[in-house]
Formats: sequence, structure tokens, C-alpha cells
Amino acid sequence: MDGPNPIGPNPIGPGNDAPNQYFLDIHDLAVTYSSRNSPPINALDGVSLQLRTGEILGILGESGSGKSTLAAALLRSLPSHATRTGGSVFVGNRDLLQLSARDLRSLRGREISLIPQDPALSLNPVLTVGSQIAEVLRAHLSLRVPQRRERVLLSLREVGFDRPQEIYSAYPHQLSGGQRQRVAIAQAVACRPSLLIADEPTSKLDATLQAEIVELLQRIRQLHRTAILLITHEPSLLAGFADRIAVMYAGRIVEVATCAQIFSRPLHPYTAALVRIAGSSMLQASTTRVRLPAIDGDPPNPTAFPPGCRFEPRCAERMEICSRRYPTSFLPEPSRPVDCFKYGE
Amino acid sequence: MESNLPTYSTPNLSKAETSYPLLRVINLSKQYVRGGLWRKRVSISAAAAVSFDIARGQTLAVVGPSGSGKSTVARCITRLERPDSGHIFFEDSDIAQADSTYLLSYRSSIQIVFQDPVTSMNPRFSAREVLEEPLLLARSALSSRPGRTNRLDLIRSQMAEVGLSPDWTDRSILHFSGGQLQRLALARALIVRPKLLVLDEALSGLDLSTQAQIANLLLDLQAAHTLTYLLVSHDLALVARLADVIAVMSDGRTVEVGATHQITSRPAHAVTQNLLAAATASAARFAALARPS
Repeated sequence: MDGPNPIGPNPIGPGNDAPNQYFLDIHDLAVTYSSRNSPPINALDGVSLQLRTGEILGILGESGSGKSTLAAALLRSLPSHATRTGGSVFVGNRDLLQLSARDLRSLRGREISLIPQDPALSLNPVLTVGSQIAEVLRAHLSLRVPQRRERVLLSLREVGFDRPQEIYSAYPHQLSGGQRQRVAIAQAVACRPSLLIADEPTSKLDATLQAEIVELLQRIRQLHRTAILLITHEPSLLAGFADRIAVMYAGRIVEVATCAQIFSRPLHPYTAALVRIAGSSMLQASTTRVRLPAIDGDPPNPTAFPPGCRFEPRCAERMEICSRRYPTSFLPEPSRPVDCFKYGE
Repeated sequence: MESNLPTYSTPNLSKAETSYPLLRVINLSKQYVRGGLWRKRVSISAAAAVSFDIARGQTLAVVGPSGSGKSTVARCITRLERPDSGHIFFEDSDIAQADSTYLLSYRSSIQIVFQDPVTSMNPRFSAREVLEEPLLLARSALSSRPGRTNRLDLIRSQMAEVGLSPDWTDRSILHFSGGQLQRLALARALIVRPKLLVLDEALSGLDLSTQAQIANLLLDLQAAHTLTYLLVSHDLALVARLADVIAVMSDGRTVEVGATHQITSRPAHAVTQNLLAAATASAARFAALARPS
């Protein structure tokens, strides 16, 4: 992109009034799903995370680990049968969870926006792409129609479309999967949010397109200093892309570290196993019909988590204490919390 | 069983050849017609000139970018679609144009597992019902016709073999996790003792640790039953670990077929080189990070 930012700096964005160095501060967040027929599910339990302005944080977790619940909680778009049972989420110096509906509306899409997993589902099939991006701008900014159109075209160019005019008047079904994901990104960044939440943005795309989308997110971060929370189950997607990685298992964050630390020296046994699998599923010469280093067993039943460490039943390094109580974060190294009794008691 | 199937004389196969490949696909092509009624009819060529062989007990992987016709090939070989032209020799008969009566006895020999186990199963079924259905449908083709108690034994041992607890037979499939459902889908395919198992992206969309578990399970099952796999995938790195032969597809054509080590070390076609470059780049990125600093 060239030229000055026509919107100007985000008025409620970070840096203006943040009392601490973190732009997003999640503290002890807990979310429970309840249903009439089954016991409650503690999808999130004691989740604490901090995000700096312009930082890319990867949330790495397998299905059922609570990573999508976390995204929904940050946008306050949890389904009706989910309740937040504790914790706080500060954006700047405001508690997101205490905002009025009106304030929340002005925040979503303006300051925090979501890149959905499947844009084929989130885009309206009967409206043109341009009008759907314009809708976001209309909701948050008072622009004249031609200015708004200019902004939409600018957004489209930013996400890599060489001929934005053609895309503007196209309908979602006329675009390919990769193009649709770009449109969804253009929609999410149209108002220059300070936080982007990307929930499995590449899981519906093939390998070459995945790399393109990741590059695009990186470019957006460089252009606008947007903080990005990238939620994925694919460690290789985060390699060399995320600044820091938080590993989730069964509703808890078990380890947070820089990208290089996670991949070169994982401390939690679950992270170590995951990285080992990821490494061995990379392309290697002459390895046909060799078994992969899998983790035995399945994740625990979310209605009845074990009282101790939730990874303990599958852990190769389990100790006697592991099944008795949960290992709350230890700090074996500065700013590197790990939930494992290997690093303290 | 083979006697009541049509056999075609084939110029490409010499009778002297003692060991036929289990599956031989020659010049397979399939067009889909879109539109009609109100819109102009357009025919789209999903597969054109697809040819490859799979030897007994081997694994062949069909890789290619999305839209290259991989799944169409899988659907033609399992005869969920009738190809427009070309030959599909399974053992020694051409099943490309065989009609449904003939195919009935073939269905148990060629089974398919799809990417999404949830949408490929009736949500009201229990695990037992899922596994019983193929046994009942394939009754005429199975060598022994299992009775009711016999069927339950079969179901329980099949569940155990894919790593599911036999005590879960009466559990609704809604209570299975994604990885467990994919195991159940495998069990459903294997319970009629197929010779060829087609896996249409059956490993994609799974979590990494589940994917590794299922991949290992596939290797074990193959060793135990001399199964032949046709693996359809977009993930070259994964496929390189499982397949003996890789067929690369692009725009409905097989552009390159070769042994796995040949494809991964000396790719000849530009499409293969592109796929390989993506896999190598992410492997290099990973290796650079994983090196202890």
C-alpha cells in the first residue's frame, strides 16, 4: 500500500490510554457450556494471556482444546448455552466483559475483528463482495459513498487483488476459495482494527494457498501494526510466523513461549510430543512406511476432566504427583510459564 | 466370484503376464455437466487421460492441487461415478462400464473412506448399526453369511482392530470424537474384507496427533491384511511417508507417476516441482527453528 492511511490512527486503539504495556490482557478466563442432557463442559479454565501491540500470537491446540471458545469469548459472541464463569479481558484499559451492548458494537469490526474459518459460509451469497466490505465501513465510519468505495478498493488492493474493481462487483460464488479468504481478510481489516482474530483461517485451503494467506497476514501486521491472534491446530503454520505461541490442551494453556523456544526446546511434554510429530511429518527423503511418533490415547472427556494434570493419562513422563492436583504455572525460565510438575512442585 | 463378472479382452494386457496389478487405470476420463434448465449447459472435464497401476499390497497416492480431479478419480474407481471412457481393470475385469448388478459383487472388494466421517454416517446410528449395514448389504458377496451373533462378534473384533473399545458397540456415533469416527469409518470399510481401500483425503482435517495415529493404524492394517491403498491427498509430505508410488495430477491429467523417492528427489513435471517446493520450504522453515540455538 502507498500513501497515508486515509482513516487515520485508530482513536480507541492501543497506545493512547493503555496503562500497561499489553494491549490485550486476558486474566483467568473460564467458560462453561451447560446443557440439560449432559453434565457441564468446562471449555476454558484459568486461561491467562497477554498480547502486545503488533504482536502475532499463535494459539496451538487440537480440536476440543477450547481454542475456538477463546476466540468467541474475546468477541463476546459465545453461544447462549455458554457462560463465562470467571476472569476478565482487558482491551487497552477497558474490561471487554463489562461493556454495554452499544460499546461492544462499536468495538467489534472496528477494534477487534474476526477472520472466519470458512468464508464460503460467512459471506452473503446474494450480495456483491464490495457491498459486504462497505457494510463494515458504513457501520463504523461516516464516509461519503465515493470515499467508501475508494476505501473498499484500497482494502482489496491491500489483500493482493490486482484488479479490485472486478472483485468489487463479483459475488462470492464467482471467486475461488483462496480469493474468498482474501475478501474475508479485506473485510476484517477494512476499519484498521488493532486486533485480528484468525480462527483456523487456512484449514480449508491447500498448501500453496496456506503459505500465501500467512504471508498476507504478516504484511498486514507490518503495514498497520495489527496484533494477530492466530488460532490453529497446525504447528507448521506457526513456524517462522508467530512471535509467541500459547499451547492449549483440554481447556487450559499449558505452555507459552517464543516461537523459536517452542520448536527448538519445548518444555511441556505435550508440546514436545506435538513438535516431534510435526517435525516427522515434514517432507524427508526415503522414509516410506515408517511409523510416526504418535501420542497414544485420546484427549480427556471434557465433562469429567481428571483432577490432576489433564495430559497425565497420555504423558510418557508422568509422575505420582501428576494425577493428584493440577500443576499451576511454573516459571522454569523468565516469562516462560509451563504447567508441568517437571519444573517445580 | 470373478466368474460372473464381465471380462473384456484387452490389447494392453498380455495374457502371458502372470502377475496383474490389482488395479490398472487406463485413460480414464469423466466430464460433469453443469447448468441446464435455465442456464447454459457447460461440460467440465474433471478427469481426462488418467492412467496408473497399483500392485497388490502397495500404496499409490494421487496428489495434486485442489480442483485437479483427484476425488473424481477416486469416485470413478469405486464406481460411485460412471466414467465417460477409459478402462478400470480390477483384478482381471474391466469395471469401468459394468452395470450395477455386476458391481454389487465388487462393492465389498473396493471400499472407500471419505474425508469427513460425520457427514458419511447416519447420525441416528450406533456404532453397531454403522458396522452392521455393510455386512447386510454385502451378504451375497461375502464367502460366509454371518448370522446375528456372528455379526456382533465380527463387529466387536473389527472395532478392536481399529483401536476402538468393543464395549462401545451400542454407543451413538454422536458420542465419538473426530478421530474415533474416522476409525469407525475405517472399520466400516474393512469389515467386508476389501482388497482395495480408497482413502479420499481421509487423513486431512484431523488433528496432528490423531493424523499420526490413523497413519500408523493404516500401516498396521496393511501389513496384517496385505491391503492395497489408493490414497488421495493434497499433502505431499504426508503421502511421501505412506505411499510406494505417487501419481501427480493437474487439470484432470496424471502428469507424472513414479516411485516415491523418485518424485521427491527428481520431480520432472512443473506441477510436481511446485508441490515439492511448498513441502520443502515448510520443512526447511521448521528445521531452521527446531535447531537448538
